[in-house]
Amino acid sequence: MHIPDGFLDLPVIIVTYAIAVAWLAYSFYKVGKGVGKDRLSMVPVLAAGIFVAQMLNWPIPGGTSLHFVGGALAGVLLGPYLGSIVIFIVLLVQCLIFHDGGITALGANVLNMGIVDVLVGYATYVLALKLLGPKRRARLVGAFAGGWLGITLAGIVCGLEIGYSSACPFGIAVSVPVMGAWHAALGVIEGFITAFVIDYLSTKADMIPQADLLSGVVRNAKP
Amino acid sequence: MLSRKTVIVIVALIMISPLFGVILADAVGYHEPLDVAAEKLGLKDITDKLNWTPFLDYSVPGLPATVGYIISGFIGVAAVLGLGYLIKAVLGRKS
Repeated sequence: MHIPDGFLDLPVIIVTYAIAVAWLAYSFYKVGKGVGKDRLSMVPVLAAGIFVAQMLNWPIPGGTSLHFVGGALAGVLLGPYLGSIVIFIVLLVQCLIFHDGGITALGANVLNMGIVDVLVGYATYVLALKLLGPKRRARLVGAFAGGWLGITLAGIVCGLEIGYSSACPFGIAVSVPVMGAWHAALGVIEGFITAFVIDYLSTKADMIPQADLLSGVVRNAKP
Repeated sequence: MLSRKTVIVIVALIMISPLFGVILADAVGYHEPLDVAAEKLGLKDITDKLNWTPFLDYSVPGLPATVGYIISGFIGVAAVLGLGYLIKAVLGRKS
């Protein structure tokens, strides 16, 4: 989903950079004020894990391929602010060192994977906890749905960005269905991986996701 | 700091990454949904014209793609950890 240089026109570049910078500045401010600060030590480790996971492309013969993105996972584990910062670290390194994702598209890539995916994944997970209670089943359902919906909506927003940038007068009528449908299908794998990791960490590693605490459903550190 | 278990998992994933990122990707022609949409819209990728890095697409000049992918993995993880610990230190101090 990394948009390369050349796909976006100037207005889209400016708008997406403005949103990305504003949200990241707000996230740094919130963490600086103490929101989720106890999870700071997880930032480098999770960012490194997501960076490596994104190198594992899953080629699907005869169709389109994918790799894990991890925005929903970061949002659930560390909350929306640190989650966005983690994905920003990954995207910045990928862009500057490997030119994976264009410098003109860094704002859009942060918006798609570091904001939409993170926030939608986080909000979906919290909703599942509130509806089903702080149980293992709720975490599994919430993490799967968050991973799937996060990547699907991120794909749709990506489709809007390239559709509006296209010289084609019906750009978004072409790009949004393609991006939305493919990511809705491939996003099932993102959902499974997100659910597996959250379940493993909360049951085997005794690590309660930050989203559990921020949701207000869970009030102590015991999973 | 990174636990021993975390280091082992990250190193293992980097070592197997060329299987997914290079060998299988080449075998089936790795093609993301974004590529499909861009083709339909006639968008042109200008990464090659604008490139500034010798590690383009996780390669290392002069090395086979699989070896370059592994080395890129270690370079990337080092950079991510460096930036991550820097941000952790800055945010941890601000209170």
